[in-house]
Amino acid sequence: MVKRLEELIGADCPNIPALLDGLPMGVALLDGEGHVLMLNKALEALTGFSRDEVRGLPCQHVLHSRACVHNCPHRAEKLPDTGIETDCINRHRRKIPVRITPVRVVDGKNNPVCILDVVEDLTTLRELEARLSQTSGPGQIIGRGQAMEKLLRLVPVIAQHDAPVLITGETGTGKDLLAESIHKASPRSREPFVRFSCGPMPSEMLDAELFGRAIDGSEEIKPGRFQQAQGGSLYLSEIADLPPAQQARLVRFLDEGTIAPVGATRPTRVAARLMLSSTESPEKLVRDGRLREDLFHRISAIRLHLPRLKDRGEDLGFLLHHFLNHYAARFKKSIIGISPDALSLVCAHDFPGNVRELKNIMEFAVMVCTGDTILVEHLPGHLPGLRDAGPTPRTQAGRKSPRKNG
Amino acid sequence: MDRRVLITIAKDEIAPRFDMATEALLMTITESGDIMRRKSFLLARASGDELCDLALSRDIGTIVCGAIEDEYYHYLRLKRIEIIDFVAGPLDEVLPRLTVNTLHEGDILYPRFGELA
Repeated sequence: MVKRLEELIGADCPNIPALLDGLPMGVALLDGEGHVLMLNKALEALTGFSRDEVRGLPCQHVLHSRACVHNCPHRAEKLPDTGIETDCINRHRRKIPVRITPVRVVDGKNNPVCILDVVEDLTTLRELEARLSQTSGPGQIIGRGQAMEKLLRLVPVIAQHDAPVLITGETGTGKDLLAESIHKASPRSREPFVRFSCGPMPSEMLDAELFGRAIDGSEEIKPGRFQQAQGGSLYLSEIADLPPAQQARLVRFLDEGTIAPVGATRPTRVAARLMLSSTESPEKLVRDGRLREDLFHRISAIRLHLPRLKDRGEDLGFLLHHFLNHYAARFKKSIIGISPDALSLVCAHDFPGNVRELKNIMEFAVMVCTGDTILVEHLPGHLPGLRDAGPTPRTQAGRKSPRKNG
Repeated sequence: MDRRVLITIAKDEIAPRFDMATEALLMTITESGDIMRRKSFLLARASGDELCDLALSRDIGTIVCGAIEDEYYHYLRLKRIEIIDFVAGPLDEVLPRLTVNTLHEGDILYPRFGELA
């Protein structure tokens, strides 16, 4: 058999090596005992061995794959129909995910001639899969568009520092989630993450809520949000809603690391990381006198801006399907997709409410959908352009549209 | 000075992969090239980490193995262990070369295709 193969591979018939070299995937030509007769160029590149170097070697010493040791396909009576996904270590000591598909070559009389091991490098595929599975960043924030990917890559870096973080972005873009993601990725993750919305509130009550209050007649302090976040992170949303007096107290905290609880005789040291957010541009807030300049300069060392959903490119489609699958699982519905009409209607929307609005739309659509596909009639009535949309064929005869019914 | 050597084996050959080996041979080779102590180890499961631990706990100076992933390689080198990797061949061929210091990384000690006949 070896002689016949030598004839085939040899000078008399040079087409076979040329043919194998022309293939984009790795191919090893083996004899019946699993000794290497030839590697094509793609496999030479993958393994790092030259064909001359390994000719005659048992194939496990060339491929160095996991399957060679655990589950050698050549030892099986019948070769597997589909390839075996495994990994191999190449001459440069790099572990490479591969799919090995053995093919038994027989002659016209069904006599075995040789075995072809087709070896596909799965590195790119695995990287793509890893990238897709990383669409959920740390915490709950998700996205795979360029803008979000850049932002999510920064999260673990920023998380390692203690500097205050200022997050800007329109409503519904995920400022709270980003702050929580930073906290979860930080060494403070085991400590509390405290969020506080700086809504309108009497100044003294706001002071007590934030900085705590001394209980009358004693040294004891009723803790505020700062004390609750001791060791962890304190996230203040809508910083512009905080009155100037409280903003000045934040400046003091950022300078000295201490706060003064209402009615207390001495300041309290708090080791919390401060994160703040604003829907408006901080520069504009300073110009309008709604944000103290000294506070702005202290909190703007790390600034993160969350883009509008409309500016997140491919994220719209991705998030749409993400929410669709999420709510379909939650409501235990077998919805497989969204009709092209409904999809183009959703994509044409401006989303002033950003991701939150998209999430609400998909929650509604999944909730009212009774078939396996979300149709235009399942979309919430307030969606602009919905009235102009033409009739959509239903997936099941006789199904009523909840929207039309009420 | 005596050398303590660990060889990852499969039956009586070098195991093709370090992290998939379940058997290791530990030996001490004297300066004059004699094998003084020789002990086989059977691991409960194939594990590169456990092999590293074994090498460190036994004060191994040289490891002879087949393919080894760079992560293990660099770790063991950092621990000042010499690695002779990508060795392929039967133990009978490997040991004599090892004792006379002529075993090198990438040595293939099987008879070749042309030499089969």
